[in-house]
Amino acid sequence: MPSTLKTDIEELTATPGVVVVRFQGSLESETISDIEKVFSRVQMGSSVFAVADMSSVNLISSAALGELMGARKRLIELGGDLVLAGVILEIRTKLNLMGASKIFKMFNDVRSAINAYKWETEKKSEQVELTFPSNLKMVPAVRQLISRIARQKGYGNRDSFRIETIVDEICNNAIEHGLNDSNLNIGIKVDIDPDKIEIDVTNISDPEKMFLLKTHLKPEEHQDIHNDEKRGRGLMLIKMLTDELTFNISEQGTVVHVKKVREE
Amino acid sequence: MDISFPYHIKLCFPGNLEYIPAIRKYISELLQISNFSPKFAYRSEIIVDELCNNAVNFGCRTEDARVELECTFFNDRIEFTIKDQGGLKENVDKLRSTLDNPVPGSDSGMLPHQGMGLEIVRMLSEKLDVKIDKENLTSVHVVRRREDSALE
Repeated sequence: MPSTLKTDIEELTATPGVVVVRFQGSLESETISDIEKVFSRVQMGSSVFAVADMSSVNLISSAALGELMGARKRLIELGGDLVLAGVILEIRTKLNLMGASKIFKMFNDVRSAINAYKWETEKKSEQVELTFPSNLKMVPAVRQLISRIARQKGYGNRDSFRIETIVDEICNNAIEHGLNDSNLNIGIKVDIDPDKIEIDVTNISDPEKMFLLKTHLKPEEHQDIHNDEKRGRGLMLIKMLTDELTFNISEQGTVVHVKKVREE
Repeated sequence: MDISFPYHIKLCFPGNLEYIPAIRKYISELLQISNFSPKFAYRSEIIVDELCNNAVNFGCRTEDARVELECTFFNDRIEFTIKDQGGLKENVDKLRSTLDNPVPGSDSGMLPHQGMGLEIVRMLSEKLDVKIDKENLTSVHVVRRREDSALE
């Protein structure tokens, strides 16, 4: 029985520049001409970032893999790329053994591949939100979480460590200067993109501590007050480590916003 | 300041597998500072991993899909609730089938290795509830009780 391969091209209107090439069947010697034809059509179009949807593919021979590598090379020359999505576990294992995973980026599904494209080319930010009890013991785990996320998203060790330090300081401040009640929550919102990370930390303000916080923020306006000089050092540290630091202090709550541009 | 039980955390993240290793570690660290044993923390980590992987792989349709994880820590147990936007109808049907036929491959229409994650969660937890609403929004609730901490 001859091998069959169905191909289909879908231009994504919502994501210009990306085309999904769907394969169904076997990618082998007998169907190489089909692979060649479909990528020739892609090259003639305006979208040169191709996601090959392999979720309905049951075989990729070494000859077909060679054809895919050729197609990828041609797309890269045009400023695009070819990535694989939805490769079934059995084929993925074989591709890994053949070393193909060093050549092709592989994603679990088309959606993940498109998101990765948007992350890299459109610098689309991703957002993580967290609420946790206002208790200092919670902070080490939170700072590690944000640091690990930064590392996972490609930030280097130095950037990740600095982000960790910033989160640690802001969260400790939010707990120390907020209402002293572990039933209350601290909110943290992280917006991360390939170039920068922005962090908002929100707490419930303690009216008695708000004045003290303001003196730390604008010491020149409160020179008559002799605070413990050791206080406020954390804030200086955050200022040194960030590219932007703003405070919004009100009776309802305090929001600290920091922006840190990626350095490495 | 000592930790007082129960306490609650809520985490909302993009439907992207990249976030899961950091999240499972976060939950594990919270459990350990809450005086749960490392073994309990590690097993709970596996539950979080499975639940999050399922939510991302089967419950996220759109590019901007998000997953919400809520954990309540009690003195004697932890409760997880994970919500996703609900996947394609075929995925929801597979999930329903897996819940009805817990043994993978038995009339569930799934491959032998599929459906194992939920079975692992079932083995590691005391209670597992899955709710799928009319719009396929899926919510999984898991309760894992502290074992004899002295023996762990």
